[in-house]
Amino acid sequence: MREVDSETMKIVVCVKQVPDSWAEKTLGADNTLDRGSVDAVMNELDEYAVEEALRLQEAHGGEVIVLSMGPSQTTDTIRKALSMGADSGVHVIDDGLHGSDAVATSLALAKAIEGRGADLVIFGSESTDARMSVVPAMVAERLGLPQLTFSSSVSVEGSTVRTNRVTEYGYDVVEASLPALVSVVEKINEPRYPSFKGIMAAKKKKVETVDLAGLGVSADQVGLAGSWSAVEEAAARPPKAKGTIVTDDGAGGTAIADFLSAQKFI
Amino acid sequence: MFEWSDEQVMIRDAVRDFINKEIRPRVEEFEHGDTPPYDVLRKLFATFGMDAMARERFKRQIEFERAVEEAKAKGEPVPEKPTREGGSDPSLTMLPIIELCRVSPGMVTAMGVSMGLTAAAINSRGTIAQKERWVPDLLTLDKVGAWAITEPDSGSDAFGSMKSTARRDGDEYLLNGSKTFITNGPYADTIVFICKLDEGNPPAERKILSFVLDSGMPGLEQSPPLRKMGMHSSPTGQLFLNDVRVGRDRLVGETEDVPSGGREGAKDTFSMERSGVAAMALGIIEECLELSVGYAKDRVQFGQPIGNFQLIQEKLARMEVARLNVENLVFRSIEVAQAGKGLTFAEASAMKLYSARAATEVAMEAVQLFGGNGYMAEYRVEQLARDAKVLQIYAGTDELQIVAIAKDLLRR
Ligand SMILES: Cc1cc2nc3c(=O)[nH]c(=O)nc-3n(C[C@H](O)[C@H](O)[C@H](O)COP(=O)(O)OP(=O)(O)OC[C@H]3O[C@@H](n4cnc5c(N)ncnc54)[C@H](O)[C@@H]3O)c2cc1C
Repeated sequence: MREVDSETMKIVVCVKQVPDSWAEKTLGADNTLDRGSVDAVMNELDEYAVEEALRLQEAHGGEVIVLSMGPSQTTDTIRKALSMGADSGVHVIDDGLHGSDAVATSLALAKAIEGRGADLVIFGSESTDARMSVVPAMVAERLGLPQLTFSSSVSVEGSTVRTNRVTEYGYDVVEASLPALVSVVEKINEPRYPSFKGIMAAKKKKVETVDLAGLGVSADQVGLAGSWSAVEEAAARPPKAKGTIVTDDGAGGTAIADFLSAQKFI
Repeated sequence: MFEWSDEQVMIRDAVRDFINKEIRPRVEEFEHGDTPPYDVLRKLFATFGMDAMARERFKRQIEFERAVEEAKAKGEPVPEKPTREGGSDPSLTMLPIIELCRVSPGMVTAMGVSMGLTAAAINSRGTIAQKERWVPDLLTLDKVGAWAITEPDSGSDAFGSMKSTARRDGDEYLLNGSKTFITNGPYADTIVFICKLDEGNPPAERKILSFVLDSGMPGLEQSPPLRKMGMHSSPTGQLFLNDVRVGRDRLVGETEDVPSGGREGAKDTFSMERSGVAAMALGIIEECLELSVGYAKDRVQFGQPIGNFQLIQEKLARMEVARLNVENLVFRSIEVAQAGKGLTFAEASAMKLYSARAATEVAMEAVQLFGGNGYMAEYRVEQLARDAKVLQIYAGTDELQIVAIAKDLLRR
């Protein structure tokens, strides 16, 4: 257990660069996303994670480190988090990481977090490109940290972190002792825009780059080869089928009710 | 400088993001409703910390001016002006102007007159006490400012036919006159009123004085907004002054002894206004070009996208040439300022003349390219074309810019 005091509270917030959700995405020859062909942005939920880290820092002091794994353009996403106010960045970059699935990614991230003395590790609860929501849990497991996922609020008091965990029926209040890992949902806050000052200051902040050797991970544990899952085949989404048009001859209401009940909506 | 730096692109994108979320969806309300632009502009400044930066910069400026005054009073050498740090990069004002103008040039007009013209008029010629009294609130738009020189019978010939007067009355002045086409006039909290000191001498010899007025002063009337062709999100009105009584504390500079009869002070303000117009033009041109390229690809006539027709291609090519030229002018003005120099009056005039014409031409050609849709309010180019036109009229008409450029050339 770790008592957090304002001088030492250390938060690592993990962010991912993803293709702009509105952009048309294409796959490369190896069935991985062609990242060069689309505008890349910070995964939206990760903005909430950064915001929450900054709010905790504003309340308790300490340090916010932003961590991202990805190809060279990922620096833009790290800079964005730094311009919002994070103190420093860690960029995990290595050609060998290309094509890593969730299991392999969680290994690289866990290794990059390990040894940094983080009191809290914060993630967005899913990425808009993969949408699996498993990486936070996997990283927690690898690091042996309690995981408080799908949080709609986070507070830290002494050596305890307390969150509201969103469920189907409302939320559960969960508590763990620090260090711990938290993933957040978008209900948690409203991410700030970087201020002009923040943008200019971001340039001077330190970003450390780490490769596989630096992480102590061997090439066969990650990347396409080291992944447990592989994309065999991909097909474009079929074009939208034409809808059914009901002419209202007086029985329109019944027709709608029948349709909804056939689809089990009512 | 030939392109925006990484930081400038980040600033541009962040501002664009804000505008797309906060202003674009409400543009109808700002253009055709009764919502004044000030609240959303204040939110923009607060969001990006522009208000805090302006306040800090002002504080540093005043500290320096105080030090200079103290040194002078003690007969000591005047301290050197501290070199400016990143905070005063002119691109930090240019980028929001450009981005806002893609959506609402009217907002920039309202903002520029308040934070630019009005604040600058007091900040360049006022006493330290006057600066502290009025400038900080204007820089953050906490107070809305108006700068009033134009009168019903006095426009291009601003000083020559000016009828507004100040007459001494004991230690005070009585101000009279009417002003028109005054941006922010209907809502202004702080008004810089420019008039002639009437000492019974012939009008041509009278000194030009500026006074700072607060709304609500007895004898001061601010009209409701006038209806106009464009710039609907910038309220424009008339001011009527009937024996408005003011003390010397409201006379800018607190002295009647103004260099070159007060005509130079207003000229500085004109110069600044003119380089701002180039940034406005760039925003309008960028938006029109982007919309036009999209439309040229999508709109099909005679079985093919209209972009295949050479007459349409010519329009797009000319728009791109205008964009490049105006962007270069904006880059130049940024670099000149970063080098600690200013544009000459003639140079600022040339820049304004070219940019204003380019913006109007591009926006009108965009309307043409969009055909009937271009004439419909639903398509953005309709508003931008109406808005662009005024760039050729306010801040000195095209004709007056030409006069200024030619005068400078022929004097050499
Ligand atoms: C939307 C809007 C906002 C404005 N905001 C402000 C404001 O905030 N404060 C303020 O004080 N004023 C403001 N103005 C006024 C603006 O500055 C004047 O309209 C402008 O200077 C022109 O003056 P005028 O309208 O009297 O035209 P005039 O001077 O009457 O000009 C009429 C025509 O004659 C031409 N002309 C005049 N003199 C000459 C010459 N010597 N040679 C050749 N041609 C000539 C002009 O170019 C023009 O084409 C605003 C105007 C508008 C439209």
